Amino acid sequence: MLAAFEKYRQAFLVGLQSNLVYRWNFAVRGFFSLFHLAVVFILWGAAFAGSERIGGFDLRQTLTYFVTLLVLQFFISAFNEDYQISEEIRNGLINQFLLKPINYFLYRFSIFVAARLVSGVLILLPLLCAFPVIRDYLTFPLDGWRLAVGLPALALSALIQFSIAYCFGMLTFWFLEIQGFVILSMAVEAVLGGQIFPLDLMPEPIFRASQYLPFYYQMYFPAAIITGRIDLPTAGQGLAIQTGWVLVLLAVNHLLWVRGLRRHTAVGG
Amino acid sequence: MTHYLKVWLASARYSLVRTMMFRGDFFVWSLVELFWMSVNLLLVAVIYRHTTTVAGWGKYEMLLLVGTSLMIQRLLMGFFWSSIFEIGRNVRTGNFDFFLAQPGNIMFMATTRKLDPDGLVNSVLAAGVVVYAAGQLGLRPSPADLALYAGLVGCGLVIHYSILVLSISPVFWLTSAQGVEGGYFTLTEFSRLPREAFKGVTSFLFVWLLPVVVVSNAPARVLLHGFEPRWALWLLALAATWLALAVFVFHRGLRRYASASS
Repeated sequence: MLAAFEKYRQAFLVGLQSNLVYRWNFAVRGFFSLFHLAVVFILWGAAFAGSERIGGFDLRQTLTYFVTLLVLQFFISAFNEDYQISEEIRNGLINQFLLKPINYFLYRFSIFVAARLVSGVLILLPLLCAFPVIRDYLTFPLDGWRLAVGLPALALSALIQFSIAYCFGMLTFWFLEIQGFVILSMAVEAVLGGQIFPLDLMPEPIFRASQYLPFYYQMYFPAAIITGRIDLPTAGQGLAIQTGWVLVLLAVNHLLWVRGLRRHTAVGG
Repeated sequence: MTHYLKVWLASARYSLVRTMMFRGDFFVWSLVELFWMSVNLLLVAVIYRHTTTVAGWGKYEMLLLVGTSLMIQRLLMGFFWSSIFEIGRNVRTGNFDFFLAQPGNIMFMATTRKLDPDGLVNSVLAAGVVVYAAGQLGLRPSPADLALYAGLVGCGLVIHYSILVLSISPVFWLTSAQGVEGGYFTLTEFSRLPREAFKGVTSFLFVWLLPVVVVSNAPARVLLHGFEPRWALWLLALAATWLALAVFVFHRGLRRYASASS
């Protein structure tokens, strides 16, 4: 058990080093995210000028939701893990993992955790710069249970994010080019994950239906717990569904890996 | 001029033939762009479920603005995106040599080589959104207004093109242009907002300093309010200025290009 842990700890450390090499890329991305935040503040600020509350929430609560979302994106979102996996399959780099006593999913997940740690810390820098401007708009509920439920929800969200990216990476066993599928999926994930607008602003039946999809648990669910958009019973029920989706996605990941390897041809030496 | 038109037509024909060879790819990418357009329209629909006005703009006025912004962006994707985006990789690998040997202006050759029909298909759909919104607003623009609208959309396209060329040009100095895509899309988000929503510093930055707001607001206002000389001239001047800046920076960068092959 310890030996296995040590293996993935090393993968994590390698991931940490290789992602620190790209610190400027993450920093630039973080900087541009501030522009996106500016768009959000301007648009929703103008929308709230016409009505004090939208969907039962005021401007500060809505902007807090979007700021939280931004931070979460850098801490738990899959950035380009699907491309990395796809490249490893296409270039045959994956062959080395077939001969070693290492689980490819856990190896990639260790690197994903390292990458998010680096990007997560780096987004805090531009946010700190913007803090004097945005602090008056931030309002977080102080219920203790939100942290207790929010942290496992965050961990499960990261697993869902990574698992979906892993699934797309695995598609390379069947398709030469996955970029189209990935960007198509990004649009669906952006809407149903609550990144474009809080999902609770959608018509009630659509919002209810979205709660049974994995995208809801990618980003909206943890952000809604932390920013006070859902209550304890809803959060508890959500956590159960989220766990279910994690198990389903892990099973799909395993299935794609096993079936994909049957199609894979390792060439060269 | 005829020479460049012939070169461009040859490139366009090649791109179309290539697209027809990969029809599945064309279908997927058309769908990708359609989905992302729908995301923006969905945002408008959701916001206006809860409010009647955003910075004084009603739902269909906003739809007209967003449709115009998306149309300009899709035209850019259709005519220039792939070519400009590939400049980064070509400079890094030395494949940019290929353009230096071509019979014509290097910037023209390098930025117009590829045509993406999926972007053009979606620009027609974006135009459909504008027509729908105009219909809902009961607008009856005169032929002159429509011609002016098309002209200002063209100016918008020139500005987007210039911004993208300026974003990619640092590759001549840095040999890396990572993040260009994200940066461009982030900036164009502003073009889907009404001018009246910008106040104070944001107004100075995104309305006056960067032409990201006027680029879509000026043509949209032609359909909504008719000819407003101030807006039209402003956009025209901006298009000329930013194109001149892009040409200058690109050619300065070209002097630094030393080719990676040997």
